[in-house]
Amino acid sequence: MREERRSLIGWVAGLLGFCVIMLSMYPTIRGNSGFAKLLDAYPEPLKKLFNLADYTTGAGYLRTEVFSFMAPLLIAIFAIIWGSDLIAGEEERRTIDLLLANPVTRRRMVIEKWLALLTGTVLLSASLELTLGLLGPAFKLHVGWGPLTAVVLGSGLFALAFGTLALAVGAATGSRAVARGVATMLAVATYLLSTLAQIVTWLRPVQPASLWYHALGTDPLSSGFHAGHLSILVLTTIVIVALAALGFERRDLAT
Amino acid sequence: MTGDTLDRSEGATIFLDHVTKHYRSGGGVDDLTLSVGPGEVFGFLGPNGAGKTTVIRLILDLIRPDSGSIRVFGRDSRRDSVEIRRRLGYVPGELALYDRFTAREVLTHFAHLRGGLEWSKIATPAEQMQLDLDRPLRTMSKGNRQKVGLVAAFMGDPELLLLDEPTSGLDPLVQQQVHGEVRRAAAEGRTVFLSSHVLAEVGEVADRVGLIRNGRIIAVERVTELQHRALHQVDATFSSPEDESTFRSLPGVSTCTLTDHVLHLEVSGSLRPIVERLAATELTDLSIREPTLEELFLSFYEQPNA
Ligand SMILES: Nc1ncnc2c1ncn2[C@@H]1O[C@H](COP(=O)(O)OP(=O)(O)OP(=O)(O)O)[C@@H](O)[C@H]1O
Ligand SMILES: [Mg+2]
Repeated sequence: MREERRSLIGWVAGLLGFCVIMLSMYPTIRGNSGFAKLLDAYPEPLKKLFNLADYTTGAGYLRTEVFSFMAPLLIAIFAIIWGSDLIAGEEERRTIDLLLANPVTRRRMVIEKWLALLTGTVLLSASLELTLGLLGPAFKLHVGWGPLTAVVLGSGLFALAFGTLALAVGAATGSRAVARGVATMLAVATYLLSTLAQIVTWLRPVQPASLWYHALGTDPLSSGFHAGHLSILVLTTIVIVALAALGFERRDLAT
Repeated sequence: MTGDTLDRSEGATIFLDHVTKHYRSGGGVDDLTLSVGPGEVFGFLGPNGAGKTTVIRLILDLIRPDSGSIRVFGRDSRRDSVEIRRRLGYVPGELALYDRFTAREVLTHFAHLRGGLEWSKIATPAEQMQLDLDRPLRTMSKGNRQKVGLVAAFMGDPELLLLDEPTSGLDPLVQQQVHGEVRRAAAEGRTVFLSSHVLAEVGEVADRVGLIRNGRIIAVERVTELQHRALHQVDATFSSPEDESTFRSLPGVSTCTLTDHVLHLEVSGSLRPIVERLAATELTDLSIREPTLEELFLSFYEQPNA
């Protein structure tokens, strides 16, 4: 609940630091024709793998340095660590005995914990967007609020889905370690699947199975919002919350 | 088990009906049947690992029985769990609190979850226990944390109190305060279910006692009967010779040996005749000791229907 406010502030600070470093490096790359030539020499598959297209433009730079991997995964790791702690942490610390001595259904507990996770993820994503949007121009990086919102939304929903998964696995097993392990592994797997599918043609048909693909694989920074893809993320998350409540409902707690 | 416990499911505050719960790693409780009436202080007495905490967590629906059923206030412990928990207070055996917060924050949060109690209902018991509400729980001593747990359980005057070894690790002064709270609750007609592994504690506050060991209930008795059964061990040393038969014939004496000025007695019931007789001797040493839990349990195996 209100318990993680302090750690949230830490995460916001960390993410801000990351953004500022990335932004401060941009002016050296922007419009640098030498750099552009160097990149042109990269083989095509590598360019796709590392998202190197238009590296020297604002959107391209952000896509490569911030949103190709680091920022979404940082938010996701935050959400996974927090999500795994919300229920399984209460069990491991044994505070759940006192909490559930109150007249609260287990379902309500799952939903309230998830709302806390949602709030935290929204705050973290919003601070990411504000940092890039407000500080970007100072480093001559202009991408506009629309594309920025689209890509931050994709990142935030990706993180929320896997934070929710961590919450659900924690609720179903009572173990934070298992919750973190499962959620992190699957998050990385969907990233790899989506990214590799760009260069490995036979993987392409299974690409839609990757949540990363629905969140960021459609390049929201240049192509904007994709309601269809985003609603898949949202629906998946809602299904996981329901499963979390079901799994939690049937268990012996803190045994 | 005495007959009066079996047929009291009607109107019972807590009723366990052939409840079995086994943990995957072994241990648990076996085929427990138990009934606690309204307004009663029920002592649940047993050694470590007997199954006391298991029973209390089953009542709370934190864990579920493999078989059998539990009714609290006449309601099903699983289906009506929220309604049941609205009417009870609980002190866990291993009390864990939200360490980063102050007692005030935690108690306010729980009061909110209980549908918004007035702060005065929390503040009064906290004052009575001389609790500093504004220190982080992490910096509190074990005794003070236990008091926070007790205030949380007692706030809003619930009809049923489930206290799992509420005084373990507390100094005698705090123990007395806890016993005082239990008696006050009982005097107001509320029901208390208190687990303990200390005979003296149960003897002090309980009306009835259930003895549990290895997941099975060995006996359920009134405290007065139990105290009658509890044989005091009396050891005395005299400076002048005494006649063994004058001790053997005293009321309540079951074992009597006198060798070399050293007397050993086992006494049930009132100690008064013994003490009066001893007062007439030249005593150099005297010890009177309550039976250990082990000795008490043994007494049930040796004479099951005594
Ligand atoms: N979470 C658990 N997982 C596996 N076994 C357990 C668990 N909790 C208790 N047990 C086992 O069940 C039995 C009863 O344990 P329980 O905690 O109910 O005893 P207790 O009477 O409360 O003991 P204590 O006085 O030490 O608190 C013990 O053999 C214990 O080892
Ligand atoms: Mg216990």
